[in-house]
Amino acid sequence: MGPQRLVRTPLMIQLEHVSKTYKGSQPALKDISLFIDKGEFVFLVGASGSGKTTFLRLLLREELPDSGKIFEAGRDIVNLPKWRVPYLRRNLGCVFQDFRLLQNKTVFENVAFALEVIGRPKSVIRSQVPQVLELVGLADKAARFPSELSGGEQQRVAIARAFVNRPLILLADEPTGNLDPKISEGIMQLLDRINKTGTTVVMATHDKALVDRMRLRVIELDHGSLIRDQLRGVYGIDDAGAVR
Amino acid sequence: MSNYAEYVVKETSSNLWRNRVTTIAAVVTVMISLFLVGASLVLRQGASNAEVQWHRGTQVRVWMSPAATPQEIAAVKVELSQAPYVTDCGYRTQLDNYQEAQHLLPPSVFNVLKVSKVPSSFNCTPLTGPDAAVVYNEFIGRPGVFNVTAPFATLRNDQRYIEIAQWAVLVVALLLLISSAVLILNTIRMAILARRREVAVMKLVGATNWFIRIPFIFEGLIQGLLGSLLATGLIIGGEELWRTLADPNNPQAIGYQMLLSNWQLLWTVVIVVVVGVAIGSIGSAIAIRRFLDV
Repeated sequence: MGPQRLVRTPLMIQLEHVSKTYKGSQPALKDISLFIDKGEFVFLVGASGSGKTTFLRLLLREELPDSGKIFEAGRDIVNLPKWRVPYLRRNLGCVFQDFRLLQNKTVFENVAFALEVIGRPKSVIRSQVPQVLELVGLADKAARFPSELSGGEQQRVAIARAFVNRPLILLADEPTGNLDPKISEGIMQLLDRINKTGTTVVMATHDKALVDRMRLRVIELDHGSLIRDQLRGVYGIDDAGAVR
Repeated sequence: MSNYAEYVVKETSSNLWRNRVTTIAAVVTVMISLFLVGASLVLRQGASNAEVQWHRGTQVRVWMSPAATPQEIAAVKVELSQAPYVTDCGYRTQLDNYQEAQHLLPPSVFNVLKVSKVPSSFNCTPLTGPDAAVVYNEFIGRPGVFNVTAPFATLRNDQRYIEIAQWAVLVVALLLLISSAVLILNTIRMAILARRREVAVMKLVGATNWFIRIPFIFEGLIQGLLGSLLATGLIIGGEELWRTLADPNNPQAIGYQMLLSNWQLLWTVVIVVVVGVAIGSIGSAIAIRRFLDV
């Protein structure tokens, strides 16, 4: 089902016949095979319950597939020992619909926390956090608490936290789900900017307007099956979408 | 201080402060249970000290019949002098025992007593308490031996009471120790629940399992340590109070004989602290295993 690769670029994510079923429920993912190149921006679309979140959880190694293989940056993450998982996650950034910020920490502390807990020295924290806050446009709000920020600003903080360690892959699970269209547009621009730095971005979304306007690669899931993989796709089925 | 040490100190202290009510409850329970553990140890060592004292003072007496021949008396004397289970055997003549009886017996009885009817005796110190019974078994019924006496019943009864008290204290202490471990487990569980968002973020950004776990382990360990230090204070204070109340002019009193040496007290304190730290670590280890999915 996956598109043919015409150009040889380094693979960042590769799934081979991946299936996953949760206990006592329908299969969440059925025999998924695909690849995502380094530096690609991919929209993951589909109705609720189609398997998007399971897909992201597998990439995060929060879940293991029942069968199949998953490679990230050439590394087999299914057979990765449990103690190596934190080191894998240092190459992954994550953004969620509900931001998941720590309310008792300031913007600066929230972003710095991601570096502190992986043992980065203070000097690195002092130099990298202001840089990334500058990138997301919140340099002047470093001392604010999340409750003092708008939804869009909170999501920017979450993106800054996900990106501060310069991950190879950024996974975003409906990052604009709680935001109005104008703010969503700003978040999209920010993710696009991060993608331009060479970070591979996989974004699960229901935002039709956004997907249609960006015309980037779209992977569509339906009841756990991969039903569409288009290079410059739109939210709904688009026969005109170029296939690699 | 390294980043991580600073992080552990900050997180552990904020966890302790956030759960201060349950922390205090856990620390107080640890303190009481460890005080009882310490009391049980003090009682055991004190009883052992007193036992040594009693045995030192215990005399076993081999009474020779007033009609015993000099040969029979000499034979018993030789045998006692060669016996490995007694020391310091002194011979008391009939006259010696007659004069002693003057102090022990009422005049009405003493007045009808004649020196020739009073038995002579060998007064010996057994090496250990049970050796008094060996002397009894060896010499009772020998030619010329009238009787063998020692304060067997008193020794047995005193030891029995102390043993019962010691076990009772130990059982209560063990039950309280289990409660302490459960209380510590519960405070760690609450700390984990209170910090579940932070833990989730830490997992997402790649913090290692031990990085996440160590502040919680320290929290349990500190609760155990605080409880044990307070218990140590109580034990030392209690021992000092006992020392003050014990009458040095009456070295035969049980309270005086049960006093501990400094080494014995130090040993008790070390055990109490080790048990406290172990209880804290066990409580937090179980909580982490059950409630912290990293």
